[in-house]
Amino acid sequence: MASRRRMLLKVIILGDSGVGKTSLMNQYVNKKFSNQYKATIGADFLTKEVQIDDRLFTLQIWDTAGQERFQSLGVAFYRGADCCVLVYDVNVMKSFDNLNNWREEFLLQASPSDPENFPFIVLGNKIDIDGGNSRVVSEKKAKAWCASKGNIPYFETSAKEGLNVEAAFQCIAMNALKNEPEEDIYLPDTIDVAGGGRQLQRSSGCEC
Amino acid sequence: MHETEQHDLSDDSDYAAASRHHAPGGIMRTDSGKSTASEAGGSEVLYLKDNVAIHPTQYASERISGRLRLYKQGSSLFLSWIPYKPSTDGAVDSLGHGSSSIPVEKDRSLYTIKSLPVSDVHSIRRHAPALSWPYIIVVLSSGLAYPPFYFYNGGVREFLATLKQHVFIVRSADDSNVFLVNDFQDPLQRTLSSLELPRVVSVANRASRHRSDLSSSSFDDSERLNGASYDATASTSEYSARQKKFHDPARDISIQVLEKFSLVTKFARETTSHLFRESHNDGLNAYEKKQQTDYGSLKPISTSDDKKKDSNVIPVASDPLEFEKLPLVWGKQRMHPLCLEEWAAFLDSEGRILDSKALRERIFYGGVDQNIRKEVWKFLLGYHEYDSTYAEREYLTSVKKSEYEVIKSQWQSISAVQAKRFTKFRERKGLIDKDVVRTDRSVAYYEGDDNPNVTILRDILLTYSFYNFDLGYCQGMSDFLSPILYVMKDEAESFWCFVALMERLGPNFNRDQSGMHSQLFALSKLVELLDGPLHNYFKQADCLNYFFCFRWILIQFKREFEYDQVMHLWEVLWTHYLSEHLHLYMCVAILKGHRKKIMGEQMDFDTLLKFINELSGNIDLDWTIREAEALCICAGENGAACIPPGTPPSLSIEPDMGLYPQEDEVL
Repeated sequence: MASRRRMLLKVIILGDSGVGKTSLMNQYVNKKFSNQYKATIGADFLTKEVQIDDRLFTLQIWDTAGQERFQSLGVAFYRGADCCVLVYDVNVMKSFDNLNNWREEFLLQASPSDPENFPFIVLGNKIDIDGGNSRVVSEKKAKAWCASKGNIPYFETSAKEGLNVEAAFQCIAMNALKNEPEEDIYLPDTIDVAGGGRQLQRSSGCEC
Repeated sequence: MHETEQHDLSDDSDYAAASRHHAPGGIMRTDSGKSTASEAGGSEVLYLKDNVAIHPTQYASERISGRLRLYKQGSSLFLSWIPYKPSTDGAVDSLGHGSSSIPVEKDRSLYTIKSLPVSDVHSIRRHAPALSWPYIIVVLSSGLAYPPFYFYNGGVREFLATLKQHVFIVRSADDSNVFLVNDFQDPLQRTLSSLELPRVVSVANRASRHRSDLSSSSFDDSERLNGASYDATASTSEYSARQKKFHDPARDISIQVLEKFSLVTKFARETTSHLFRESHNDGLNAYEKKQQTDYGSLKPISTSDDKKKDSNVIPVASDPLEFEKLPLVWGKQRMHPLCLEEWAAFLDSEGRILDSKALRERIFYGGVDQNIRKEVWKFLLGYHEYDSTYAEREYLTSVKKSEYEVIKSQWQSISAVQAKRFTKFRERKGLIDKDVVRTDRSVAYYEGDDNPNVTILRDILLTYSFYNFDLGYCQGMSDFLSPILYVMKDEAESFWCFVALMERLGPNFNRDQSGMHSQLFALSKLVELLDGPLHNYFKQADCLNYFFCFRWILIQFKREFEYDQVMHLWEVLWTHYLSEHLHLYMCVAILKGHRKKIMGEQMDFDTLLKFINELSGNIDLDWTIREAEALCICAGENGAACIPPGTPPSLSIEPDMGLYPQEDEVL
């Protein structure tokens, strides 16, 4: 259990309804885009193997319902997250304004051990729409907000065109990994203590 | 807006009654030698109220009275609710409550709370209906809620006051009848959601709970208390003794962890203990025999008789394979859908349906032919009365049509300038616009660009959100509406059918998720009743919140089956033949159908959720309905008793219980 936990990086995607959470996840994992995704009910996740510095990890990417009425479920789904991806639609101001709420709600429900340093990533999605003419949130504005929240990495993406999605998730995986050693505060209960689990922990510590 | 205030108890009408009973110096009461004994065991009773009842069904005869207590063990506060023994027991009479407690032996143990750490409580909702007893609903941090506790003799205020003396309580800013327990969060941080139920699990709360996991006291303490309390029969004491005999710290910790997320019942505890005592299998296997003999009536195996018989036998978890072999009565063979000729035979010359029960039974076993769905669904949904005539229905249709137009015009007349200053409207419309274009677009009726039917979906949902402004729009509603419009092919009729459906299923979308919580609670109870080992597995795997069934329940399997199958399933469910909650038995059926895989592969919550989500499109509908029917029949009254009154799609029993005021949220 303990060693499996170390290999798994849990990522939660949050953001307003319709900003493209499901699409981003599917573009990254399946390299596919569909106009026919349904509104997510409850939660689901996809997994993808990622390699970081010669080591393999399983990225478990959680997609949740965007309507705030369903946030009470977060308690069950956010637990043990290693990284949180905040998504907004560059063409919808409200979805950007809500980023702060999503961030705080996540910290509240996931209760990470070190909320100050918990890794977030912000994605401004749908940059393809109307050739960028309909965007209402400037890159500058988004970056300023990210800077004010402890230099959150920021990417502009198009899940539809596959723009920047791979790069964004690479960053997500790296940041999730950085969070891992600190998450693993519990000790494996039995013989694992001196076994392989420990070694893994040490080497992941060397990463950073 | 986000301020929390210390709760003010001066407005409680039951205070006067409650305060007569407790000593001027404080809340603590010791009214029998027996509870003094429990203090000697290290617990201090801080609050005690008799005649606090649970109403498992709407029938007065099935209400279960009991004693609610708050007690302190070390520095931790616990809550217990023990139903009274049958009056022959004597203990009840000596307390003077024999007459008011009607023993429902088979149900009593289902709801028993032996010792619930108050640190696990998220919030307590208080209700004071004008014409009924006051009651409270206790919601756990895990998201589950207990059924309402009715205070026949008052005492809600005293209860809250006692709590307030020992734990941090604030009144929710969103609903003055909700008291948040252990909510240490800075109120200013709680900016986003007005959902006040299970979301607040503060860091401090978690930390303290973690500590209590590691200390091995609470389990034993609760046993001790129980052993010494009036409720204990000889067999319960023996049971406690058994618990202590095999004192294994690892096991105790595990049990505590299990109990944290469970609704503790004697049944659950007994079966839990099986999991940890397999090595003591003496071959008698009484549990299994009991299961077999009782399967027809599916009694929880916790009557005192059983305990006496089995007191020397250490029960063993039944082999899942053995369990599978039990003769399960299969549901009836499915029939062909109700056709036009059959339908016509149900109608009299003026169009009344004389035998609605027979009609519903017929539809339950076969569904409805597509070409008469438009007529039949209006009855099933409750839009048309079964005893209405053709003429009456025609009249109603025309009246309702213009009524719809009036409501629709309310939002249609909002000008662009006005909309600019009407954030709620803009955002609600935006959300609906986003959802209708991703609702069933692969169905021919909704496919393609600029499909007018998609616009009609939008218009109906927006109109509904004005018709029921408090509930508003919630994701999942478009899933419900889509087949209705597809069948009705008429905007106004679809609207009213949707309204009728939401009368029952609207609570699925309550902001506080109360409708969903009560169904998930009922589901956990049904699994416990119908598949103890599976229940224990979920308990052990920390899966008792049943959130992995959330989608199934929220939109009644809409995403799990093909479009035409969904229509078939829904008309079967809407008959409410056998049970209003057949969908919950379907959940049990599907879970049971995969129990070997779930338990065999030791699925954790994540794996289970993924597994369940991926069942979509691979569930045999006819099998599931038949299995659900069989389970529903097997469970009988015990099954019905698992489902708290008012659980959707039941119509709410008390008018004020239905939709809580929906305040302080944008959408």
